[in-house]
Amino acid sequence: MVGRHRVRSWRVALSIGLAASLGVAACSSDSKTAVPATSGAATTAAGASTTAATTTGASTGASTGGTTGASTGGSTAPAGGSSDQALVIARDMDVNSLDPQRAYCDTCQIFMTAVYETLIGLDAKDNTTLIPRLATKWTSNTDQTEFTFDLDPRAKFADGTPVTSADVKFSWERLQGLKGASSYLVSLIKTIDATDPEVVKVTLSAADSAFFAQVNASYLGIVNSKAAMAQGATADPTTDKAEPWFLANSAGSGPFTLEGYTSGSELRLKRNDAYWGTKANFPEVIMKQTQGAVEQRQQLEEGSVDIAMQISNDVATGMSDKDVVVKKVPSFNYVYLALSPGAKGGEALTPDVRKAIREALDYPHLLDVTVGGAGRSQPSPIPNGFAGTTGLPGPVQNLDDAKQLLAASGAKDLTFDATFPTFNVYGVDFSTAMQEVQTELKAVGVTLNLNPVEVSVWADKINKDGIPVTMLYFAPDHTDSSQYVQYFGLVPDSQWTTWTKQPNVQSESDLLTKAFATQDPAARDGIYKQLAQAMIDDQVIIPIVNPDLFLASRANITGMHYSACCNLDLALLGKS
Amino acid sequence: MTALPPIALPVVVEPRTRRGRGRRPAWRRGPALVGLVVLALWVLVALTLPLWTPFGPLDPVDKRLLSPNAHHWLGTDALGRDVFTRVLWGARTSLPVAAIVILAAVIIGTIIGAVSGFFGGWIDAVLMRFVDITMAFPPILLAMAITASLGPSIRNAVIAMILVWWPIYARLLRAQVIAVRQRDFVDSAVAIGASRWLILRRYVLPMSYTPVLVNATMDFGQVVLLVASLSFIGLGARPPSPEWGAMITEGATNFYQWWIAAGPGLAILLVVLAFNFVGDGLRDTFDVRDDS
Repeated sequence: MVGRHRVRSWRVALSIGLAASLGVAACSSDSKTAVPATSGAATTAAGASTTAATTTGASTGASTGGTTGASTGGSTAPAGGSSDQALVIARDMDVNSLDPQRAYCDTCQIFMTAVYETLIGLDAKDNTTLIPRLATKWTSNTDQTEFTFDLDPRAKFADGTPVTSADVKFSWERLQGLKGASSYLVSLIKTIDATDPEVVKVTLSAADSAFFAQVNASYLGIVNSKAAMAQGATADPTTDKAEPWFLANSAGSGPFTLEGYTSGSELRLKRNDAYWGTKANFPEVIMKQTQGAVEQRQQLEEGSVDIAMQISNDVATGMSDKDVVVKKVPSFNYVYLALSPGAKGGEALTPDVRKAIREALDYPHLLDVTVGGAGRSQPSPIPNGFAGTTGLPGPVQNLDDAKQLLAASGAKDLTFDATFPTFNVYGVDFSTAMQEVQTELKAVGVTLNLNPVEVSVWADKINKDGIPVTMLYFAPDHTDSSQYVQYFGLVPDSQWTTWTKQPNVQSESDLLTKAFATQDPAARDGIYKQLAQAMIDDQVIIPIVNPDLFLASRANITGMHYSACCNLDLALLGKS
Repeated sequence: MTALPPIALPVVVEPRTRRGRGRRPAWRRGPALVGLVVLALWVLVALTLPLWTPFGPLDPVDKRLLSPNAHHWLGTDALGRDVFTRVLWGARTSLPVAAIVILAAVIIGTIIGAVSGFFGGWIDAVLMRFVDITMAFPPILLAMAITASLGPSIRNAVIAMILVWWPIYARLLRAQVIAVRQRDFVDSAVAIGASRWLILRRYVLPMSYTPVLVNATMDFGQVVLLVASLSFIGLGARPPSPEWGAMITEGATNFYQWWIAAGPGLAILLVVLAFNFVGDGLRDTFDVRDDS
């Protein structure tokens, strides 16, 4: 009997332990969140400043370009003092690659900015002014088809090799040739003349008044061509063999070099002590894979990390630790619903049905449910504050009209697969957001079968069959509105033209060409407004929320900011 | 002519119990009775819930993230749904799933274990090696792998759990059948020409099933826990299903609203404990030893 009692006690203890451990596990490990968020800081009136940034880029290109800051080199001087300790950042990383011409993710923006410098930078103080990086001067011809960049003769890669026009030519031609997600940024480049090692002359196949703005995108960072080619880097995706090497090594001229990357664990950057500009404050930066906002907050409060990059409104509420600073800033990031009539099972998503879905959503409630009201609704795929968004009518729920549209469409059994990645981005939990969307669409007779999956599964599915209804996020690559048309518009080679399997809309292509050829800021604003309305009318991309960002750091960290092109410039951070 | 002594087929012997000792059976005493009552309540709730619950499990009924109050005993979740209602509805997923898994696993395990143990030889060797291979993997990992390959859903989770669970019963029953098979009455039955299938079905199996029954009862709780675990990691129930594991996942993203995870956690605790208490009671009642 004693033995039996022992067995019983053991069983009872085990059952309690297992049940409790499940509960504890729930409390200590966040759901399958993933990915990124941008960070930021100094942005206040983000919208206005972005419009200004666009204007600045356009007019600068049209005239002479920047000439100041030549002595600074690289990024602007870091804020605060230096430290002999590593800077640790808690972040849910979404790294797809560390190859500078293949990387395309929010974390990649931070990495690229730290390791691979661009020719032109964006001043993080105002997200408006273009500043010198590798180039000291940039000019264009009057019709915006030829662009010239004078390289800083002092610029050197981390191995001491001078940065030359041949490196720029190699980097941009490789970006173009590999046809990665960021290749659209250089799609108009026709030739790159690198005859003079210190001068880069770019000729475009068509006018592009946004080219200078595009050049400040982190993905146009310059790689050491000799080092890359020695590792098998080419501009042909069938022969290029360098991607594995770039996972463990870097060949840039930035203030940091890659020290190591372990998928699902950490990304380590080491200060480039041979940096040609002002050296970074921290000897090392460790981005620590931390999935959820809850864990990020806990690690920040206990002091094991210096910065938490993806704190949500719900999690930030109630933070009162005096050693932690949390600042809420507007952002240009957003989360959107995407409808793909060309996807398998999405045939019933006719324009009327798509419009009905758009009108069935309760946007203020979605804002409340997804980010606790900390953000804004967004009318078009061009985010609030970018050129072309002023005065656009906001999205409004109209259930009667939605029901009428659905009834008139004659469609029966409107049930759609809604596979979405298990992300928790910018404080938005995709599962929660999609459940709310499902509930609201049910009210008008549209049924969504929710299917949360890992991002790799999602990517396979959307690339193969497409997904009728899904959810995704976007952060700006640079400061011009053209990127949104090139990514979301139904124009040739845009990402969502491919995924929705929809035909191109010629009028959108024409408008985009016209915008590229227009230099007057007011006229460009008008064209982008037409494009924004055209993309609304496409009813393919339905923005759900434009959330605020929560910049959370230990109180002694200085220089926290939000960059519209680059997420977070690590070289600007310091310690007080 | 010498008459052979009559051969008497055995009377099926009831497993030893303590009924004859003047005490109530173990399952009607102490923890087992409590477990039985708790389970009965859960079953009653699961069966009658739609008739009396004031809220729907999927309907937003109030502001989001309300703490427990008089109207919402376990508060509301991130979508403004009543957590208590969803916890109760969770029983309509977890209990049937556990029942289906255990029933199917017991049937499969019984058939394979009985055939393997009774017939022996190469049949036994082949079947038991297959069982060995299956049992070489930790159940949770194997279930995860199977569910992930079939695609996340509660149906696929059930299939995975059946595939993980049946070898336990096959091994258990085989051991019992081998022990019973070696008894004299089996030889006697063979000697008089009874078919082996008849002997197995009519005499051997009834004397072997008790440990399986007891184990199955105790495993109910473990299956509830496993299905919650699979849902917790996103391989089981799909949102917005009010499944306990999936609800705990939602609670984890709203960590500082403790009530969202606490409700389903408590439900799992109660059900698992109740099944274990009942299983212990049955074990005492049938006096099953662990030496099987």
